[in-house]
Amino acid sequence: MDRYDVIVIGAGNGGLAAACRILNSGKSCLVCERHNIPGGFATSFVRGRFEFEASLHEFNGIGTPEEPGSTRLLFEELGVADKIEWVQLRDAYHLISEEEGYDFVMPFGYEEFAKANNQLHPEGEKYIREFFGICQQIKDAMAYIGETKGKPDPKVMMEKYPDYLACGSYSVNEAFEALGYPKVIVDNLNTYWCYLGADGDNLSFLHYANMIYSYFSKGAAIPKHRSHELSLAFEERIHELGGDIWFNTEVVKILTDSEGHVCGVRLRDGRKIESRHVIANCSPHVAYGKLLDSAAVPERALKLTNFRKLAGRGFTVFLGLSKSAEELGLRDHNYFIYDTSDSVKQYASMKTIGNTAAQATVCLNNALPDCSPEGTAIVYMTTLFTEDEWSKISEKDYFKVKNKVAKSMIERFEKATGTNLQDHIEEIAIATPETYARYTGHPQGTVYGYESQYYDGLMSRIQMVEEDRFVPGLRIGGGYGERLLGYPSSYKSGANEAGRTLRDMEKEGR
Amino acid sequence: MIFKRSEIPGEDIRRAMEMTAKRRQLIDESPADPIVYEYGVNRLAKDLHPGTVRAKITAREACGADCCRITLESLAENGRFPYFRAGQFVTLSCRAGDSYLSRPYSVVSSPEDALEGKLEIMVQRKGIFSKYLIEQAADGSEVMVGEPSGDFHFDDIRDGSHILAIAGGSGVTPFLSMMKAICEGSEDFRLTLIYGARTRAHVPFDPADFADDRIRIEIILSEEEAEGFRHGFITADLLKDCMDDDTSVFMCGPDAMYRFVRKELESLTFDSSHIRQERNSVGDREVAEKKTFRLTVHIRDEVCTVEAGNDETIVTALERAGIAAPVRCRNGVCGFCHSRVISGEYYVAAENDFRRAADRKFGYIHPCSTYPESDMEIDIPAVTV
Repeated sequence: MDRYDVIVIGAGNGGLAAACRILNSGKSCLVCERHNIPGGFATSFVRGRFEFEASLHEFNGIGTPEEPGSTRLLFEELGVADKIEWVQLRDAYHLISEEEGYDFVMPFGYEEFAKANNQLHPEGEKYIREFFGICQQIKDAMAYIGETKGKPDPKVMMEKYPDYLACGSYSVNEAFEALGYPKVIVDNLNTYWCYLGADGDNLSFLHYANMIYSYFSKGAAIPKHRSHELSLAFEERIHELGGDIWFNTEVVKILTDSEGHVCGVRLRDGRKIESRHVIANCSPHVAYGKLLDSAAVPERALKLTNFRKLAGRGFTVFLGLSKSAEELGLRDHNYFIYDTSDSVKQYASMKTIGNTAAQATVCLNNALPDCSPEGTAIVYMTTLFTEDEWSKISEKDYFKVKNKVAKSMIERFEKATGTNLQDHIEEIAIATPETYARYTGHPQGTVYGYESQYYDGLMSRIQMVEEDRFVPGLRIGGGYGERLLGYPSSYKSGANEAGRTLRDMEKEGR
Repeated sequence: MIFKRSEIPGEDIRRAMEMTAKRRQLIDESPADPIVYEYGVNRLAKDLHPGTVRAKITAREACGADCCRITLESLAENGRFPYFRAGQFVTLSCRAGDSYLSRPYSVVSSPEDALEGKLEIMVQRKGIFSKYLIEQAADGSEVMVGEPSGDFHFDDIRDGSHILAIAGGSGVTPFLSMMKAICEGSEDFRLTLIYGARTRAHVPFDPADFADDRIRIEIILSEEEAEGFRHGFITADLLKDCMDDDTSVFMCGPDAMYRFVRKELESLTFDSSHIRQERNSVGDREVAEKKTFRLTVHIRDEVCTVEAGNDETIVTALERAGIAAPVRCRNGVCGFCHSRVISGEYYVAAENDFRRAADRKFGYIHPCSTYPESDMEIDIPAVTV
């Protein structure tokens, strides 16, 4: 068949979720994926006796079957929830920050986290309970806005959600300054900043507060068989629903008709597949800069795309160690190792290669004891680069530079935790911005889509989502979407774009 | 209401209401320049991983009694092969008659040669594809060369500063590349090569080509005694003599050699996590009763059927039938041939099973290391050019 109701470009998280929602409605759907497996970032790879998780540190928003989080509800709707085995994480993180001398572990759970802050400040719990009160209001307000399909009653907003409105325009740093909490409490609450990759002067408080509230109150989980399990669960569901996924199949053009409406795609081998609707699970940079003919791209699409700021470029060191986590002295799943808790300073230091002032490190065996053979452990450490020094490296220097950065991260981790990893490295793999560019096609090896900027944050993107699309028949969803980066966001964005595509089709009367 | 930042009444909320208008204004003020999508990082990624490169055979030279060195010239637009780590392999493929053939070969030339558009492999005179390359292919014949792959290369974080390289037969190939890389400066580590060959005539390289303080070469002959060569087997004593306290062991050769050397290393209480061995291709297997099954193969929206013996891997059966299957390592490791089983029974030997845990859960296989045990229906990715 050379004609589908909808074509999805890219089998990343957004593309997979989009395809399931389209197929659930009875429409036909083809997913074209450049690589030989689904998932994009949600994948894993094997080296020797180790299977490494490629990107996921922890999954927010799953909750439990009894108390499901929003992403579990989405997975249930899409028909993949029963295919995935989750393991809940015990603690939120172990923070070590050199400048302030922090070295503590924070638990998950509303009550547990609130009480744990008493270790940091005599009145810690009080501040956290107040903060959580604001978070709950933000969460309720967002749910209400969703229920009203983005058209909330201003009177209801003023009466029920005044804090949501009052803090709505501020950055994380502005909001915490206004709240006036002690530095140690603010620093602790800022720990998760690197999961969104924008510093506290830019990151929207609403967005960040909503995310960390979900982490602390609902906890986080990790799939038992790495994130490849998520991707294969989606692939299986797509086949069950009669959809097609073609691997090693690169779309090189999105075709438009004389009226500028999408009419199909062209594959690398020249074959054309017809469709009136395309959901692109890629960056708008690629969609507008490469996949569409320039004549089909309106001026405002160029302006919007040029307005965006590319977010952090990823760098990860994966270690397969010939000692157990216990023997290595690693007791926690998540480590945040910071030179300073000041996210603005950390962000600034990520501009250059050579100084990794921040790393988020996982010892997977503390969540999944059987993830590697007995007597071994898997550790992976991630950092970000916020500018493009990696684009200036020659291929001859590339291998040397990546090992140098990796070594500095390992040494930094060893120093902070007092462990010795280097004598027990059996397998090592290093993913650089080049690696992420290779596997996802994202500009400059960006792993976080478009950075959350002061005026380009979650709420304004959501409110302007219809205004931000330009080519009839084309929707763009995934980590570059209105919900920004991250696993839950990209699945939701893909599913949302599929919902909008279905509404477009309804309007067309097809 | 808890949150208040501005002292001016209503100011906080007014600001929030203006966020989208402000964003709209900033978009209006942004340039409408064409979007750049070829970035430096993406360009380097493409240079390092260009996919398959078209190449032609420009020279074939006998080396040693049973090897042949084949020189390939890049036909890529940039005239190069990708830069690589010495020790990696490439997969050559082409059509030969009714079949589609592909095999992995360790690169014998150096990383800097690749940038000059030259890639050399060393082939032993056995196997269908090697015979084709040595005897049947005409000069100038085209082959497709896959990206340099594999992690059988030195790593200064993982490995000791000294590599004890142990090789037999054509297994010396990756080490010849490493030694050349050390001499030219693209790699920097100490390497001691212990090479086992039957006689002097079977040695496919000249040790004099690798004169460097960081390199030591010991050749041990099993069927001949000769001056300047050792005689006998690769024993614990010899291994010990070639080690220091910062040594990692790399091995490349037949499986029998691996078993023998591992036993000797064990007697030295050498830490096995510092031993790396290059894996050999998964070939035919012994079966009690030979059976032939029918494979129904989906590639995108095309379907075909293929006969497959229970003693051969699925990839072997596909290629014999002329189907271009995506395949790289042929030993189960790399996952390039990752395919979905729709129905049917199959067998993967535990030592060749490098699938991800979720692949096992959802029924995916690596056809290069999997044997059919019944009629099967599978979905394989297309081959990209």
